[in-house]
Amino acid sequence: MDPNWNDSQPIYRQLRDRVVEMILEGALGDGDALPSVRSVAAEYRLNPLTVLKGYQELVDEELVEKKRGRGMFIREGAKKKLLLGERELFIKEQWPSVVATIRRLGLDMGDLIQQAEAQLSGDDGEGEQ
Amino acid sequence: MTTLVRASGLSKHYGGAAALDGVDFQIEQGRIVGLIGPNGAGKTTALKALLGLTSFEGDLRVLGRDPRRERHQIMQDVCFIADVAVLPRWLRVKQTLELVQGLHPKFNRSKAESFLAKTSVKPDSKISQLSKGMVTQLHLALVMAIEARLLVLDEPTLGLDILFRKQFYSSILGDYFDENRTILVTTHQVEEIEHILTDVMFIDQGRIVLDESMDRISARFLEVAVNPDRLDAARSLGPISETDVFGRRVFLFENVGIDLVRPLGEVRTPGIADLFVAKIKEQAA
Repeated sequence: MDPNWNDSQPIYRQLRDRVVEMILEGALGDGDALPSVRSVAAEYRLNPLTVLKGYQELVDEELVEKKRGRGMFIREGAKKKLLLGERELFIKEQWPSVVATIRRLGLDMGDLIQQAEAQLSGDDGEGEQ
Repeated sequence: MTTLVRASGLSKHYGGAAALDGVDFQIEQGRIVGLIGPNGAGKTTALKALLGLTSFEGDLRVLGRDPRRERHQIMQDVCFIADVAVLPRWLRVKQTLELVQGLHPKFNRSKAESFLAKTSVKPDSKISQLSKGMVTQLHLALVMAIEARLLVLDEPTLGLDILFRKQFYSSILGDYFDENRTILVTTHQVEEIEHILTDVMFIDQGRIVLDESMDRISARFLEVAVNPDRLDAARSLGPISETDVFGRRVFLFENVGIDLVRPLGEVRTPGIADLFVAKIKEQAA
């Protein structure tokens, strides 16, 4: 498996993002162990310090904890914490532009809410509609 | 931090020509250092000097010792894989292990055997029957089983196919390298090792033209795909190179703040290969 690193971000940052993605997708759950620095370094052929730096970001963000002699683990509530952050980001950054579009197109809020509610109850917020 | 190699004013002349021209550098423990340069730049001469395989002028200390006089002691703690890995072709694999066990006090035979067990190299095969990739695996097995403090790799993956090359570095990182070990590697395949390195040294015409940690490289050098209307602004900041990539002008800046270049276009950290080309051209200019 060879990840496609891009040039616009340092690799440790991309590694951090990858773990975050896995937490959000549920591939890594609360209490799960992260793969060891050594195994990630070998698998992706990265300097171990790069891997460590990526993991340290996650520790600093309180998503991952170090357990002495045992490695790194996903902290309780990591996904919840990430979702909170994502929600805040949506409300702060994306929502205002959605509202601006609503105004620009002259859409009716009542209609929109009705449609959104129908969509949400139709698929319990999981499917693609 | 422990300094394993310290060179100052290291020089080597072949006839009138300088292969190494007063070179200074240091290698610290726990680092993976890439020595990168064009053919004839002095890479192999530098390695030969620190392995005690050639005479030189200037001062060079390897593990605190002088390679000219204390080669034997140094080689107890230093391992070497050359691009022309020479193992006697008539030996069988298991005989090779016996031989090294007899020669090297720090060789752990069972470690080498368990490494080889993961490969397709059979103990009873003759070296002459092995493919180039398998010979490298055998060589790697020998080297990884020696408790060395410094591992020197000279073009270790030259002529190997991509699968063997990947395996080679994965083995080094997974089964060998730790903070007490140090690796010095030269290669032409820069892309292959750039994410592995902690430090990089560029050498050209017997001189070190760049010696920097990979961490600092991303702070010191920035690559910018400059928007067409910002070309003059970009040139006024004194780029070290300007190239054309698919119709976009790509500039390389050294020690120019990111805030200055961000308005110019799309900013990236340059790859080592591009940086290398730019630095060598800069030297030639």
